[in-house]
Amino acid sequence: MQDMNLTGLFIDLMGRLGLNYEFLATGYEAQIWRDGFITTLYLVAVTIPVSLIVGLIFAACLTSGRLWLSAPVRGFVELTRNTPTLVQLMFSFLVLNTVVSNMLGGAQNNPLSPFFWVVAVVGLHVAALHAEAIRGGIEAVPSSMIEAARGMGFSQFEILRYVQIPLAFRASLPAIVNGLISLVKSTTVGNAIAVSEITYASIMVWTQRDNVVELMIVLLAFFSLINFVVARVGSWVERRLAIPGYGL
Amino acid sequence: MTASTATETGAAIVKLEDVHLSFGQTEVLKGIDLTINKGDAVSIIGPSGSGKSTILRCINALVTPQSGKITVAGTRVDQLTKESERIQLRKRVGIVFQQYNLFPHLTVLDNIVLAPTKILGADRTATVKLARELLEKVRLSEKADAYPGQLSGGQQQRVAIARALAMKPELVLFDEVTSALDPETVGEVLWVIRDLIRDGMTSILVTHEMRFAEEISDTVVFTENGRIVDHGSPQQIFHTTDNPRIRQFVGGLSGGGRGAVRDGEGI
Repeated sequence: MQDMNLTGLFIDLMGRLGLNYEFLATGYEAQIWRDGFITTLYLVAVTIPVSLIVGLIFAACLTSGRLWLSAPVRGFVELTRNTPTLVQLMFSFLVLNTVVSNMLGGAQNNPLSPFFWVVAVVGLHVAALHAEAIRGGIEAVPSSMIEAARGMGFSQFEILRYVQIPLAFRASLPAIVNGLISLVKSTTVGNAIAVSEITYASIMVWTQRDNVVELMIVLLAFFSLINFVVARVGSWVERRLAIPGYGL
Repeated sequence: MTASTATETGAAIVKLEDVHLSFGQTEVLKGIDLTINKGDAVSIIGPSGSGKSTILRCINALVTPQSGKITVAGTRVDQLTKESERIQLRKRVGIVFQQYNLFPHLTVLDNIVLAPTKILGADRTATVKLARELLEKVRLSEKADAYPGQLSGGQQQRVAIARALAMKPELVLFDEVTSALDPETVGEVLWVIRDLIRDGMTSILVTHEMRFAEEISDTVVFTENGRIVDHGSPQQIFHTTDNPRIRQFVGGLSGGGRGAVRDGEGI
């Protein structure tokens, strides 16, 4: 087969450079590794929108002026910003997940997978960072502009929806992109609770094959590529949303 | 024609009775009585901090006085308790501010179309047509697709007026709309307002443009220290008043050539 020949060629070529990629020719380990890439991409693709949507909701709560909305979010933001993501993940999986299992009468009834907990913990952690950035943007909208909108009959929510968020999103976009880049890297914490993303899969392979350097090269290139794409998309959006004649 | 004559309640569109308002310890309005009839143009003049802008904000329910009665187009504004009721009132009363406050992320056309379509639920096609007519009226048809940041102050203020008119308000409040403009562009904004008043739009203006106030007003109101010191026809306030304070204020502001230059040229 064409595919096998290409793989064989690659293994042979790398072998001449002293790099051992022989596991690619095996069925089992190559499969684990390929699935690891897909799981990481899947994690990133799900967690990014979760972080953005929750971040927006958090920012709206923080700036609502209603204590029952802002106080719990403020507490959560402080907690999640100031503690390690890995600890949060372990706490969520080992404590919260167990509580859920007990409530549902056993782990076999618990629909929440380790994958879910990575999305939830990393997504909410980055959402807290987004929220702070967006909050800054919302509060930077001049009060005279808000009064003008009120004077026209906009409700508080409509001002948020049509005036504050469009302006705040533009102002906070560089910070949001930074948050997303850190999100991509943070998905690797999944390996602590056996989510078979690419670092977990790589560890599985290199403990058998002793080819850490070879897999590291690919790992680093892989994450660099994802974040290169994230940064490029970010600057594309920034250019698209640029307001002519305005500072943002 | 004249303000504060309580007998003409039939045609009154705005009526303030003994309105008192304080911000914290500061008493801003100390008993304002004012009646404005439909179709009238009323100018409120007076020194800074005399409560002029606060009167406008009371009429539009942007601030709520501690006591007194405010009736606007049949609504007892002082009795509104819910924000949703105040919003209903604001949709009927246009207000234009000193700082234009256009939405910088929207084109001129979208600035005008946003509120009628999103807030009033008006049909977009019809609203775009109306917006283009209004832009024609304020002589900015060619700027429909420009962003506010690309316009001069005078142009932005004319868009702000068109934006207020797109809500089809029953009256329009102008809060020192030319104060932030450079002298050369004041004229183009006043031209638009003059046109609007000639069309019969009920207008209340807080202004420092004395020549303009004299020219377009049916009634001029002079405020100082939270009270209405006097009101009457432009002739009365600007020329025949016995009140030394008003004579001093009016003379000090419009005596020089500045008013004439700002008002007259470029129109």
